[in-house]
Amino acid sequence: MVVLEAKGIKKRFGGVIALKNGNLKCRKGKITGLLGANGSGKSTISKIITGVYSADEGEIIYNGRQVKYKNPHEARKDGIAMVFQNLSLVADLTIWQNIVLGSEINRGPFLDNQHARKLSKEIIDGLLPGLDIEKKVTELNPGELQIVEIAKAISENPQLLILDEPTAALEQAQVKSLFNAMRKLAEKGVAMIFTSHRIWEVMEICDDVVVFRNGEDVGSMDFLVDAKNPENIISMITGEAQTSRHQKSERTRHEDVVLTVSNLNYGNILRNISFELKKGEILGVGGLVGQGQYELMLALAGNYPEISGNAELNGKPLKLNKPSEAIRNSIFLVPGDRQLEGLFLKHSVYTNMIYPKLGLKDQPLFTPNARYRRECIDSVEKLSIKTHTIDTQVSMLSGGNQQKVVVGKWLSFNTNVLLLADPAKGVDIGAKRDLYDFILKMVREKQTSVILYASDFEELVDYCDRLMIMYEGQVIATLEGDEICEDTIITTSLGVG
Amino acid sequence: MNEKTSTLKRWVGRPEFSSLLIMLVMFAITVYLQKNFFEQKSLVRTYNAFIPLILMAMGQAVVIISGGLDLSAGSALSLMTVVLTYIMKKDDPASGFTALLAAIGVAVAIGMVNGIGIGYLRLPPVIVTYATSYLWLGIALFLRPTPGGQITEWFRIFYDFKSVPGIPDFFVEMGKTIPPALWLLIIGCVGWFFLSKTRIVRYMYAVGSNNDNAYASGIDTGWTQTVACIINALFILLAALFFVGQNQSGDARMGDPMTLKVIASAVVGGIALTGGKGNVFFAIVGALTLSFVNKIIFFANIPNAYQTLVSGLIIIVAIAGSLVYSLFSKRAMLKEGMK
Amino acid sequence: MNPAITNTRSNFFEIAWSRYKKSIVVILLIFLLFIAGEVLVGNFLSFGQLLLTMKLASYIALFALCQMIVIAAGGGGLDLSVGYTATMTAVLTASIMDGQNSNLWMAILVALAVGIAVGFANGFLAAYLKLPALVVTMAMANIVQGIVNAYTKGADITGKPSPILQIIAAKSTGIFPNVVFLLIVVAIITMILLYKTSWGLKLFGVGSNEIAAYLSGVDAKIVRWVAFVVSGVLASLMGLLLIGNLGLAFKDMGSMYVMPSIAATVVGGISLDGGEGNYFNVILGSIFLQTLTNLLIALGLGDAGKWIGFGIVLYVLLIAYVRNPRSR
Repeated sequence: MVVLEAKGIKKRFGGVIALKNGNLKCRKGKITGLLGANGSGKSTISKIITGVYSADEGEIIYNGRQVKYKNPHEARKDGIAMVFQNLSLVADLTIWQNIVLGSEINRGPFLDNQHARKLSKEIIDGLLPGLDIEKKVTELNPGELQIVEIAKAISENPQLLILDEPTAALEQAQVKSLFNAMRKLAEKGVAMIFTSHRIWEVMEICDDVVVFRNGEDVGSMDFLVDAKNPENIISMITGEAQTSRHQKSERTRHEDVVLTVSNLNYGNILRNISFELKKGEILGVGGLVGQGQYELMLALAGNYPEISGNAELNGKPLKLNKPSEAIRNSIFLVPGDRQLEGLFLKHSVYTNMIYPKLGLKDQPLFTPNARYRRECIDSVEKLSIKTHTIDTQVSMLSGGNQQKVVVGKWLSFNTNVLLLADPAKGVDIGAKRDLYDFILKMVREKQTSVILYASDFEELVDYCDRLMIMYEGQVIATLEGDEICEDTIITTSLGVG
Repeated sequence: MNEKTSTLKRWVGRPEFSSLLIMLVMFAITVYLQKNFFEQKSLVRTYNAFIPLILMAMGQAVVIISGGLDLSAGSALSLMTVVLTYIMKKDDPASGFTALLAAIGVAVAIGMVNGIGIGYLRLPPVIVTYATSYLWLGIALFLRPTPGGQITEWFRIFYDFKSVPGIPDFFVEMGKTIPPALWLLIIGCVGWFFLSKTRIVRYMYAVGSNNDNAYASGIDTGWTQTVACIINALFILLAALFFVGQNQSGDARMGDPMTLKVIASAVVGGIALTGGKGNVFFAIVGALTLSFVNKIIFFANIPNAYQTLVSGLIIIVAIAGSLVYSLFSKRAMLKEGMK
Repeated sequence: MNPAITNTRSNFFEIAWSRYKKSIVVILLIFLLFIAGEVLVGNFLSFGQLLLTMKLASYIALFALCQMIVIAAGGGGLDLSVGYTATMTAVLTASIMDGQNSNLWMAILVALAVGIAVGFANGFLAAYLKLPALVVTMAMANIVQGIVNAYTKGADITGKPSPILQIIAAKSTGIFPNVVFLLIVVAIITMILLYKTSWGLKLFGVGSNEIAAYLSGVDAKIVRWVAFVVSGVLASLMGLLLIGNLGLAFKDMGSMYVMPSIAATVVGGISLDGGEGNYFNVILGSIFLQTLTNLLIALGLGDAGKWIGFGIVLYVLLIAYVRNPRSR
């Protein structure tokens, strides 16, 4: 029996089309798996169903009527709950207080804590027996946090439960518990949507699978009917041989090593990473989103004071424990979330572009504004940044141009290593091309070495000489030459093959 | 049984434990220095000296827990004393009730103005209550440019039972061990005890801990913070009743030195300024600690002139100490479960 | 090809409005006050009145400079100790100067020492240890007050300011109060330092986006620490001006300036999150507050009216400029 049906969902964010034709059916008591590569649209459609986003076109039919939720709270009241990866919990409250937060039951004028505790214990015991519900959320590890999130979603007896990568932070044993709980929910008639990047998990728990690619659903498999064949699933995710895939014309082999990294470790986030960066090459870092790629960039830029491991730049030891060290060695980071980390939104293009110069050691007291302004105008032209003047506030520029400012900051420096953390994310095609053209020029002319993390496989395929694939904090493969093509990237990213 | 030992262990690690310890140490020193501490009359004097701060600290704790801060506490106190003594007339017992009602109305109004600013308009609590503190000061000065005013005789009940004409002996006797100040504290504590079991107080912790997530869970954060401000104002009112009973006059500036002490008491009592954490009853511990230290300074014969200096230093040490403490425990937790 | 820099010819008024919005608002408000004064009280708009307002407003503006710098550095900075720092310097230097010019240099040294000490302590606690600036500076004010109390031991403070200070602080050249000249000089130096030097830009960057500044190699903690030291020194020097103005020192000299210094900054539209520092607007804010004070006093509302007025103004302007609507 179909509980929810999404038909023809379209969604775009600015210039980026996230969904061009999304369709999905959820059936009572069935667990539907959602699979797809980065940017395939699978998490967008989940968020539309639960009211985080609103669809541009298309309809969602829930229990026979059409619905359009303005926020997750509305959806929850209607029986659709979603377990996010972060976080709807309140840190200073206990597990049971969080589980009932917002829907507490009263006994007279006072809270019925007994009932709340009983309910929470039941749910938690079903998911992770032994977890003390009196613990405060701040005391929990990521796996336990995820369990509590799930518990909270379940506590409101949803008809449809969407779990977005719930196993990412869980250990094996916790995954088993989660699956047990999910099966029990299915027996009670709850419909579920389950996403994971681990194919074997999907095959184990799901009743059927829907595969998304490039903003639409491209295939499905009902495990009651079809045999569970991972090959078929993978080919649906990657798609048949792509027509006119832009192949990088020449992938040059580079010889001299400029940067050596060995045994980089940071908690569970980066595990035993070692690699070499050759001079003048573009080394890519790929894999599914959230496997530690971005953190690797931050680490190399000196952002983690407690990191352990060794690094050498041009033969000399390199300290990775503060950004000023990296900057002094001409290792520059172009951060991914430009608004959060890369820009002074209230300030002008000019101020933003010259800021790093101020951090240098021998800065004159009176900023040589005339000279800096000329250099700034120069950079603006080189990068084709569209702005009224260099005194325009940066917040008024489009995303793509903002990103160019973030890159442009480092232009006048002689860069040894340029770390690009998803530089073209959310940037329109034109600006993307400008950005990469410019970076390529810098590489060719100045022999700058680049480490490029991109969540979009196309960028990796188009621009990298070599490509490291990361999975759960480790580098699991390094692709070279012809290996760098979308199929191989995707299969390697999934940890299969 | 395992659960019991783990709760004990959990309790030891909390800031409340150390603040209790420190308070007991200060208490011990005070008792040592003041030989007659436990004599009936001197105990009553101690209650009268300590309890106003304790009441206000409890109220401040409520606001801080809900994610706010009230810099206008001192001026609010002054304003309430002024309003009470403005309305009351010495020879008109009924005016006492009118004054009481008016003061309650003023307290609720103060709470709402602060609450709307912090909760609904989402203005930074520090600055908005800084602004309202001058608002209360101005209104108080307007009503009473110089200290003065009067109370009706039965109003003395809030300070001293025996000065109330016609009061039964039973009360006078009781007042020797449980003076009105202590009763006010008991009322405050009992009131909070029952309040703390209601939904809105749970929500105060949620809102103070993470305003956005609380909102996403369907909690009305604006109203929650406003209620916290109103509760604070009511605690301040209890203190005002005492002061008016004691001094029989209103003074627009009397509350000025209280604000910092009140906040410091809450912090020393383990209430984190970031919100969402802490126990209002431990604000009592914090206020006691500060008050005992003041007594110790007095008995150690440190000249009066230095007292402000020392109390300022104590506050800084207290706040720095509790913050350093929470930093350590946070780092310990990070090492355990790497986030 | 993409013309990199395009100069579209927007309406002159549109550009002027977007750039100078806040200054225009304050100027309008000041005009409104003057008109209200004329209507309600009469004789409000005289030139003499204006000059007097400027003189008194200068004091507020100079204290407000301390706030602006600390606020601009971000991280929720505020300095509530400026009042008592000024008082302490006035009290300490009164007997040093003793009415002579010869010891002025010593007084200045003492002022610098006091300012650096207080600012250093504030900075250490608020910027380095990241304790809440509000509570730290409030406690510091208490401590400084305590020192002043201990030093004076309740007796009156003897000593008079050097005549030079009196000339600057209290007297006028012709009809222009000298302190206004001082303000102009300070304002120019401030704007140059803030907008033309690397210090200023670093300050704004740190206040605007601590993380971005960090990634560019600028340490927010140090910058904010320095901001507190600067605030302390400025406040301390203000003590010399205060005693120059009044001819003597007394215990609560500086307290009345603390609230207006913060209010002037808010009225001037300076973002309380940091990253902005248009001193010209702060001066306008000070003029506004002083004009408001004059109006309220002229209406017979005295001190009470002044504080109520300030309180309401600050509250309303917070709503206008600082509101933190929920980001969804």
